[in-house]
Amino acid sequence: MNITIWLVLTIILLAVIFIPRVGLIAIYKTYRIAQAREQVEDALKHLLDREQQGRHASPESLGGTLDMPRGNVTRLIEDMETQGLLESRGTNLFLTTEGERWAMHVVRAHRLWERYLTDEARMPLEKVHGEAQRREHSFTDAQLNDLDAALGHPTRDPHGDPIPTREGTLLKAEGMPLTAWQSEGPARIVHLEDEPALAFEQILAAGLRLGQTIRILDRNSQRILLTDGETEYRLAPAVAANVSVAALPESEIAKASAIPLVELQHDQRGEIVILDDAVQGFTRRRFLDLGLTPGTTIYPELQNFFGDPRAYRVRGTLIALRKDQAAQIWVKPI
Amino acid sequence: MEANEILAKAESLRNNLSTGFRDEIVKSLYTEAENIAKRAVKSTSDKKYDFDQKIDRLVTSPYTGLPIMLLLLGLIIWLTVSGANVVSSWIAVVLFGIGDYGRALFNQIGIPWWITGFLWDGVYLGLAWVVSVMLPPMMIFFPAFTFLEDLGYLPRVAFNMDWMFKKTGAHGKQSLTMAMGFGCNAAGVIATRVIDSPRERLIAILTNNFVPCNGRFPTLIMLATVFVAASFPPALTSLIAAATVVGVVLIGVMFTFIASWVLSRTVLKGEASAFTLELPPYRRPNVSRILYTSIIDRTIFVLWRAMQTAAPAGAIIWVLANIPIADSNLARAIADWLNPFGLLLGLDGVIILAYIIAIPANEIVVPTMMMVYMGAGMMINGPTNNTEIFNLLVNGNGWTMLTAVNLMLFALLHNPCATTIMTIYKETKSLKWATLSVVMTLGTAIVVTFLTASIARLLGWV
Repeated sequence: MNITIWLVLTIILLAVIFIPRVGLIAIYKTYRIAQAREQVEDALKHLLDREQQGRHASPESLGGTLDMPRGNVTRLIEDMETQGLLESRGTNLFLTTEGERWAMHVVRAHRLWERYLTDEARMPLEKVHGEAQRREHSFTDAQLNDLDAALGHPTRDPHGDPIPTREGTLLKAEGMPLTAWQSEGPARIVHLEDEPALAFEQILAAGLRLGQTIRILDRNSQRILLTDGETEYRLAPAVAANVSVAALPESEIAKASAIPLVELQHDQRGEIVILDDAVQGFTRRRFLDLGLTPGTTIYPELQNFFGDPRAYRVRGTLIALRKDQAAQIWVKPI
Repeated sequence: MEANEILAKAESLRNNLSTGFRDEIVKSLYTEAENIAKRAVKSTSDKKYDFDQKIDRLVTSPYTGLPIMLLLLGLIIWLTVSGANVVSSWIAVVLFGIGDYGRALFNQIGIPWWITGFLWDGVYLGLAWVVSVMLPPMMIFFPAFTFLEDLGYLPRVAFNMDWMFKKTGAHGKQSLTMAMGFGCNAAGVIATRVIDSPRERLIAILTNNFVPCNGRFPTLIMLATVFVAASFPPALTSLIAAATVVGVVLIGVMFTFIASWVLSRTVLKGEASAFTLELPPYRRPNVSRILYTSIIDRTIFVLWRAMQTAAPAGAIIWVLANIPIADSNLARAIADWLNPFGLLLGLDGVIILAYIIAIPANEIVVPTMMMVYMGAGMMINGPTNNTEIFNLLVNGNGWTMLTAVNLMLFALLHNPCATTIMTIYKETKSLKWATLSVVMTLGTAIVVTFLTASIARLLGWV
């Protein structure tokens, strides 16, 4: 009697541990595989990131990013080398073609998810990165293509970084060398060339950064004089050729002469200039559906007794918007 | 061209599109529509919104807006409370009369007592109860609600209340779904479809049950009449009862806000997202449409669903009351077993039993309680006179003011009925949210009643 019970219990216990696919061991294995994959992918991302910054990755930088002890890093690098994902030359690590393809895949997954979470799930921006970090590891190319299409082939993630295309290429920054920029108007620095290193160091030493909005004050054969509105920068033409600039996006220019709808006074009429770039996906579609298109006349009509929301008359209908929404619609007072 | 070539071409062209091309498409649609409208529609004068504006100023101003809202809420509840009582008793007379006739007929042709009992005293009586208790308030409430809806007033409520919902991380339109919840929580859950952001919609679904529905009004009205209004002059009875129910409703609204706030800081973390609310122009209500929508779409629909669950509940009650145990019956025995738990919450075993049986339909809580208290074999109206009810509960079964207050709180906060739980499951397509809706509300009800009971006992009030 007792023995039978023990026998049955032992069999059940063994089954729970050893059964393929659903047993404890199988679950643990799946978990380990997923863990290993995440590690490899995070390492690939780090290498790609470094390459794009024009710096070299090293076992130290990798260990720092992954928060991993030295011995494990060495083992991880060896593993990845045998898989043909990276090469180490001296103290530097380089992605192979295969490694770069995979890294691009992960970056694409991450940025597409960020786009989805912001636009469709409408998650707050500060939570988006962490959530995308969790989701980026388990998707196939086909699934990503579907996500890409469903989102309408976005080109940039919510932070403004480009999303790799399905072929695994990053959109080329459509800039031109500063030396070729002829316009008087403002331009945005879209790329800093890191080769040759000497020129790159001079650019950084001058204090120029990626994404800065600048304007050319003066130029001659000796130097180009720039300003960002506060500081003046001086660059030799040979160095300036390594700085790529592009025209500001239309939305930036349009915003310059407009105010957010939320600041429109009660007896003031406004004409919608543009919807903020930060409004994408669902919310933007909703705004457009309601007729909040550029060129439309809009004016506040009804104030809630606590100040928020406010109702606006647009195209003959009355639409209530909260302050956060009204701050994303840019209008020109008329 | 090959398909692949076309795709590749599309791919390359897409990269050259400006980012705002979708905006351009919508803009051109609107421009085109405006041109057509200009050609087709002749307007003699610029339409002004003076009249609408005046009403809007009135209903959204700080001094008149909130009072108007509360007055309308009170008025609808008072109409429902006072009107329903009268009609309820008429319907009850007719339906119970049919029941008596059917029972007599069955006895005459010699059908065994337990078949007669099961069918007429169980299933039929359950149905009759639900219809007579539920139909009249719905026939008053739904047309009144639809009237305000048709008028265009309800979106203004959402506009007025949005600041509070925003603070709790919810959507202003939740106030519309709550208003619908007065009629029926299942209908309220379905009404949350008007909220277009998933997080805020889930909050509205999970908290809708904190608004007492028509099915729970009878319990609240009975308690308000017997325990609160009884000490006032008879002329004021229905007013005081309505005021008490409004008070309970406001407690429910408070719990809605607390629950929304807690939800948006725990399982449904996040800030309130996109909020757009159309405030339609005021229209003269269309009477025939109001009647059609409120009677056919809402009343009959809800009543039919309630009847489907009331029939089996009636059967179960009859069975419990007719299985003899010692010198009592099974219902009494279970109630006695549940009694310690009930007392802990300031209630008693019979009330807990009534709520367990009433999971399918909350309307039968009061008749079930009366049945068990009186040791009867079927749901009966029991005493109709307020003094008699008071005697039965207080002198006969040891009720105190605490029991009455806690029963009101429990009726307000406890788990949704079976229909609502099913609706939540269908709307969210998730067992997890349906379960949470039950655990959250039942947990709140148990904790709150336990606290009030303990505090009242500690302070020596009872």
